[in-house]
Amino acid sequence: MKKLAIIVYVLMTVALLGWAYYQAIYVAPNDAAQGEMFRIIYYHVPSASVAFLFFGISLVGSIGFLASRRDHAERAQMFDAWALAGAEVGVVFCSVVLVTGPLWGRRAWGMWWTWDARLTTTLVLWLIYVSYLLLRRFAAGPQVQTLAAVLGIFGALDVPIVYMSNRWWRTQHPAPVFGGGEGSGMDPAMLPAFLWNMLAWFAWGALILALRYRVEREHQKIAAEEAERALQS
Amino acid sequence: MKKLGIGLMVAVPIALFCWACTLVFSAPPEPPFDWRLHMSQAQHDAVVALLNHLYTRAAYTVTWAIQLGYLAWLGLRWQSPKQRSAR
Repeated sequence: MKKLAIIVYVLMTVALLGWAYYQAIYVAPNDAAQGEMFRIIYYHVPSASVAFLFFGISLVGSIGFLASRRDHAERAQMFDAWALAGAEVGVVFCSVVLVTGPLWGRRAWGMWWTWDARLTTTLVLWLIYVSYLLLRRFAAGPQVQTLAAVLGIFGALDVPIVYMSNRWWRTQHPAPVFGGGEGSGMDPAMLPAFLWNMLAWFAWGALILALRYRVEREHQKIAAEEAERALQS
Repeated sequence: MKKLGIGLMVAVPIALFCWACTLVFSAPPEPPFDWRLHMSQAQHDAVVALLNHLYTRAAYTVTWAIQLGYLAWLGLRWQSPKQRSAR
């Protein structure tokens, strides 16, 4: 039954992604000022939203690990797996943002990159979480999970700064399309394509997050078994 | 069969990434600042539309290259603990 539910979810996600692509490329109209280039928004903004959400999951996992590591070892390992999965999948989506953004910027502004607040804070966010993953990959010893949890909490503090950056400072990056005050918003003809893509990328993100969590739990289980065997021998 | 599957999982994201790079680096040059001296409005609009099209396709392609590349990496990691525990 569980296997069937997973297969149905995967098929629905693939269908959603196909439908969202169709909406973005063939249904949504061109932007009056930017023409076809504006269609990058349908991949760029949902990717940023998913990255923010997953860094939030990493934050919750990190806090949960630190809170439960002394008294509830098994629960702490579960929180740690969520923290790692959230950070890693968040980095993937953040990488999409950092690649599609310059492609858009090259056509819209005539340059690949500029050190404005939104772009710089996003790059810093990506670097913090890449360092988190490097720490997890290369450091050894009993304190690695604790150190990573602390880094994960500090990394997540950058998320609201990235989100607010083009509200707090004057930036090359455009003002927020949603929640940006008077004059902001999207053309109603573009909104369905945008919402379909949001839904599709959230569904895809949830799928690979769950997969990554499962892989990490398997690794933890095998590591625990190996440690047990080493103790017995 | 399994090796073919793994090969495809790895090859597809690499091919998509190469395709995205080709789209960007084979694009015609931007119209110069003083384009009115060199081309008509229609020619200018055609070049801009082509550039917009190529860059948009590149953005979509590279997104899938990253996502499928990560999925392939995850698939390989999924296999490795199973192999370890089997040993």
